[in-house]
Amino acid sequence: MTGMTAVVRAEGLTKYYGRRRGLEDLDLEIRPGEIFGYLGPNGAGKTTTIRLVLDVIRPTRGQVHVLGAPSRDPSVRARIGYLPGELALEGREKAGDYPRFLGKARGGVPPGRIEALAERLDADLGVPMGRLSKGNRQKVGLIQAFMHEPELLILDEPTSGLDPLMQQEFLAMVREVRASGRTVLMSSHVLAEVEDVSDRVGIVRAGRLVAVEDVSALREKAVRRVELHFDAPVPPEAFHGLPGVRDLRVEGASVRGTVDGRPDALIKAAAKFTVVHLASAPPDLEEIFLTYYSDEGRHDDRQDAP
Amino acid sequence: MIAKTLREYRRALIGWTAGIGAYMVLYVSVYASVKESPEVYGPAALAKFPEGMRDLLGGLQDFTSGPGYLQTTVYQLFLPFLFLACAMIVANRALAQPEEAGTLELLVTLPVSRGRLLLRRYAALVIGLAAVAAVTLLVTWAMAEAVEMEVPFGRILAAHTGVLLLGLFFGTVTMAVGAATGRKGPGMAVTGVWAVLGYVAVTAGQSVDALAWLKWLSPFHYYGSGQPLYNGLPVGDYLVLAGATAVLALTAVLAFDRRDVGV
Repeated sequence: MTGMTAVVRAEGLTKYYGRRRGLEDLDLEIRPGEIFGYLGPNGAGKTTTIRLVLDVIRPTRGQVHVLGAPSRDPSVRARIGYLPGELALEGREKAGDYPRFLGKARGGVPPGRIEALAERLDADLGVPMGRLSKGNRQKVGLIQAFMHEPELLILDEPTSGLDPLMQQEFLAMVREVRASGRTVLMSSHVLAEVEDVSDRVGIVRAGRLVAVEDVSALREKAVRRVELHFDAPVPPEAFHGLPGVRDLRVEGASVRGTVDGRPDALIKAAAKFTVVHLASAPPDLEEIFLTYYSDEGRHDDRQDAP
Repeated sequence: MIAKTLREYRRALIGWTAGIGAYMVLYVSVYASVKESPEVYGPAALAKFPEGMRDLLGGLQDFTSGPGYLQTTVYQLFLPFLFLACAMIVANRALAQPEEAGTLELLVTLPVSRGRLLLRRYAALVIGLAAVAAVTLLVTWAMAEAVEMEVPFGRILAAHTGVLLLGLFFGTVTMAVGAATGRKGPGMAVTGVWAVLGYVAVTAGQSVDALAWLKWLSPFHYYGSGQPLYNGLPVGDYLVLAGATAVLALTAVLAFDRRDVGV
């Protein structure tokens, strides 16, 4: 800690549902102003963590502080926006009335804000709640989570049910939240959904946090295929022994290889010649992500028996 | 929160008010013919029913007087049970039903303590049931006047207050069990069993000496034994009902406050 109070701080947070483990000994700090991607397969403990933070369920052991207060303190929840993983909306009331009601209960929403968000997300608020489509339900959920400009947004699987265009709009909204210095905790079971916006990702599996990584660090570890074309054949020895470059093949005027982490050495070597074309596949974070799973998974399964 | 909760209850409340009101109109209006020919309805009513059934209907000693008819057809069995069913169904909408549906999740994450959330949704239940009672009271009184039943408004009010208190008691039972378990089924089971056994205990059960003490556990004892249609407001009995209801509501708060929601 460097004087900044963590927005969420979990210490030894543990939750058992009867004998079934939901979450084991979670230590986690979410820093002010960051977007934290919380990743794991379904049933790994993401929703359990989120519901503990919001005091919907109570920990078996350990504690969690949110915005400086214990999670049991209800007043702090006015400063949180929450999108549940499985948002249930029912009844004959118009979909627009529900965010208005929630907004009042949270201490007020700037006028016009709900309508502006609805327009941005192309949500129909005139439909009775019980008859919203899955996509529209998710949009109402996002509106009520964002509308009061909370200091902390907790979004459980926020992109499920949104079409790709709306997913982009949603990610833009998340970036705006970070730009205004506020904090986001969002869960997903697909890394690709959160890697573009997240500053850090935490990976949870079978109730345990197995890794917390800076996304940029993760990218540096990532393997990418690189292909360079030159205006004339290049000497193979110019590309020999470059750090971090594997499987290098020089064929006339083209060079192909795999780069671990930074492509810096390869780029500097190539810069001595005239590059006419450069192709690089995006780093496959998913692959790194899965390595975490399989390594920790084998380790973890041994401990699973009570 | 109270207004929003009332909107959730609204359709059920309106439906039950209409149903109970229709029942009242139907049964009270029949009194016109009972009154015209008491020699037919008096003995006939007594002879028609086997003894056990007569006990369940409160004895049937007096069917042809205004209060006697009103007591037998309305306040003895049917109205309390209709109102009780209404209270039970609406009470489930306070917590158990939204929890089963998943809509409670966002409500418990509002900046409101669990206890306060429950009490607001409970307040809406009390207001809603009071409204149903008020409307059906007016219907009953208007009908009683129309057929010249000769029961003063004060007596009908006293009996109807008992119906409201009894409904509130059982509604609170349903809500408390729902608050503790998060499910509708157990609340309805506990309420139904308690109501039926409680009713039998103060009617048919009274002839069995070994079971006579059970009446003290029956809300119907405090509801009916004071005979409000004849004697006016049984203040002590009603206070017992109201007090027990308050204790149950408090129990519900404590149970809901320490529980995981939606698991």
